[in-house]
Amino acid sequence: MRLEARQISVRFGALAALASVSLDVQSGERRALIGPNGAGKTTLFNVIAGELRPASGSVLLDGRDVTSLPTWRRARMSVGRTFQRSALFPRLSVSENLELAVRRGALGGRRRAVPDRLAAAGLSAVAERPAVSLGHGEQRALEIELALACEPRLLLLDEPMAGLSGAERQAALARLRDLPRSVTLVIVEHDIDAVFAIAERITVLDHGVRIADGTPAEVRADPRVQEVYLGRS
Amino acid sequence: MPAVLLAVLISLPFWTPSRYWVSVAIQALILAVFAMSLDLLLGFGGMPSFGHAAFYGMGAYACGKLFPQLTGGGLLAFLAAGMAAGVIAALPIGALAVRARGIYFLMLTLAFAQMVWGLAFQWTSFTGGTEGMSGIPQAVPDWLQEQGQNVWPALRTAGPFYVVALTVAVLAFAGLTAITRSPFGRALEGIRENEGRMRALGYPTYRYRLAAFVIAAAFAGLAGATTALYNGYANPSQLYWHTSGLVLIAVIVGGTRSLLGAVLGAFFVTIVQLVISSYTEHWQLLLGAVFIAVVLFLPGGLISLGRLGWLRR
Ligand SMILES: Nc1ncnc2c1ncn2[C@@H]1O[C@H](COP(=O)(O)OP(=O)(O)OP(=O)(O)O)[C@@H](O)[C@H]1O
Ligand SMILES: [Mg+2]
Repeated sequence: MRLEARQISVRFGALAALASVSLDVQSGERRALIGPNGAGKTTLFNVIAGELRPASGSVLLDGRDVTSLPTWRRARMSVGRTFQRSALFPRLSVSENLELAVRRGALGGRRRAVPDRLAAAGLSAVAERPAVSLGHGEQRALEIELALACEPRLLLLDEPMAGLSGAERQAALARLRDLPRSVTLVIVEHDIDAVFAIAERITVLDHGVRIADGTPAEVRADPRVQEVYLGRS
Repeated sequence: MPAVLLAVLISLPFWTPSRYWVSVAIQALILAVFAMSLDLLLGFGGMPSFGHAAFYGMGAYACGKLFPQLTGGGLLAFLAAGMAAGVIAALPIGALAVRARGIYFLMLTLAFAQMVWGLAFQWTSFTGGTEGMSGIPQAVPDWLQEQGQNVWPALRTAGPFYVVALTVAVLAFAGLTAITRSPFGRALEGIRENEGRMRALGYPTYRYRLAAFVIAAAFAGLAGATTALYNGYANPSQLYWHTSGLVLIAVIVGGTRSLLGAVLGAFFVTIVQLVISSYTEHWQLLLGAVFIAVVLFLPGGLISLGRLGWLRR
């Protein structure tokens, strides 16, 4: 699914969280969205997913303007996302969590897909435990799997690796790399190694402004990027 | 456990010392239906309504207003009218109220319910004002009235309405159990746990919340109709916030997220209200104390005591 965000502006009171930011992601592309804390990355995801109405600008999916569509309609158009802070169903079991995801907002069947999803996420052993009782790594794995279980064509990942151990990181990376090209991927991630391992193009935000957009090599060489972001880390 | 409870209730007319206890059981069963309907909202949907009496009262008033026309249709016509009244009232109220969450939802439902109460109280020509409406028939089907006690001799003392109340409660329990276990019920729990995530997964959460509100109101209307038939009247106290508060206490004391908990809470509250109050005026104090104790020390409600006992064995 092709994603075009055109000149998106979002204000929170006096703060310009996004100032005319554009993002054009081709179908099947792997794109990273990076930038320091407070740059506006999550805000941009919220606009694309439908949680936030931008003050100006528009969002297009496969050329269709969805700016005024609610989140659930965009989700049914195959937009999936993960959240920076895990957004699980705490008191429901892991398999009940996934059951809600595989139904994708409909009330029909498809429950048979749950065991496969549990296995793919490495969560079969904890399937009957409430999500709140999982360790951080398992919660992050479930967080990603909830989005994947909807079989998205556009997947927005907000810091999926945050707080993971080395081994968990490798497992998550492998899971993302194995995704088919029918999935367009936009990933926000502070782990630069992960970014360079996945991304074909990188967009850099700072203080709500897009300061760079290009291949990893171009972005790495960009002096403004080095100054505000790479240089600091 | 539901089987044990059902066995006790079915056999009640045989061993009960007096008709008084049958009337206590009938009122507990009616409150149980009302409490289960609220539990769908509060326990499963995470929507704390403080105005659920509006729909209970509407169910009673529908019977009071329409009994000349409904009598021909018999018991089912009255019960259906009660449910329909609940639905009709819940559509506009719910359309606005479910936009709010948490304490705002609670205040909105309270405000709407008090508006309904005010209307019933003041529109005397239509509602009977303070007096309400009386003379509503019990509408017990003829075959039950005539043949019931041959099949079940204990009904001679208990009265046939006990069968009506028990049947309504059992069917409401079965219906609400099916709803909570259906994909719809699961989605409702998902919305309670994390509404934002549900939207991101493609669920139109507003519609789900509204549907839950309307279904809960239908069952509250059913309970209201049953109480109107049993007592023979509809009056403003059935719409008043005291009634909303009492059913809320029943659900929380019994245990939210469990229909059986709501039933348990309803029996507890009814017994305190009817039985204890004949010994002491301070029954509300007792109820309040139990409520506070449960909230502080037993968040799962009385039903969770049963679960603990089950495990220990
Ligand atoms: N709901 C909100 N109300 C007010 N300000 C907000 C809101 N959400 C975000 N902000 C502000 O907007 C700016 C951008 O926030 P955003 O969460 O998009 O940053 P980010 O790039 O995702 O940062 P991080 O790397 O820390 O997650 C920040 O200054 C933040 O404080
Ligand atoms: Mg963020």
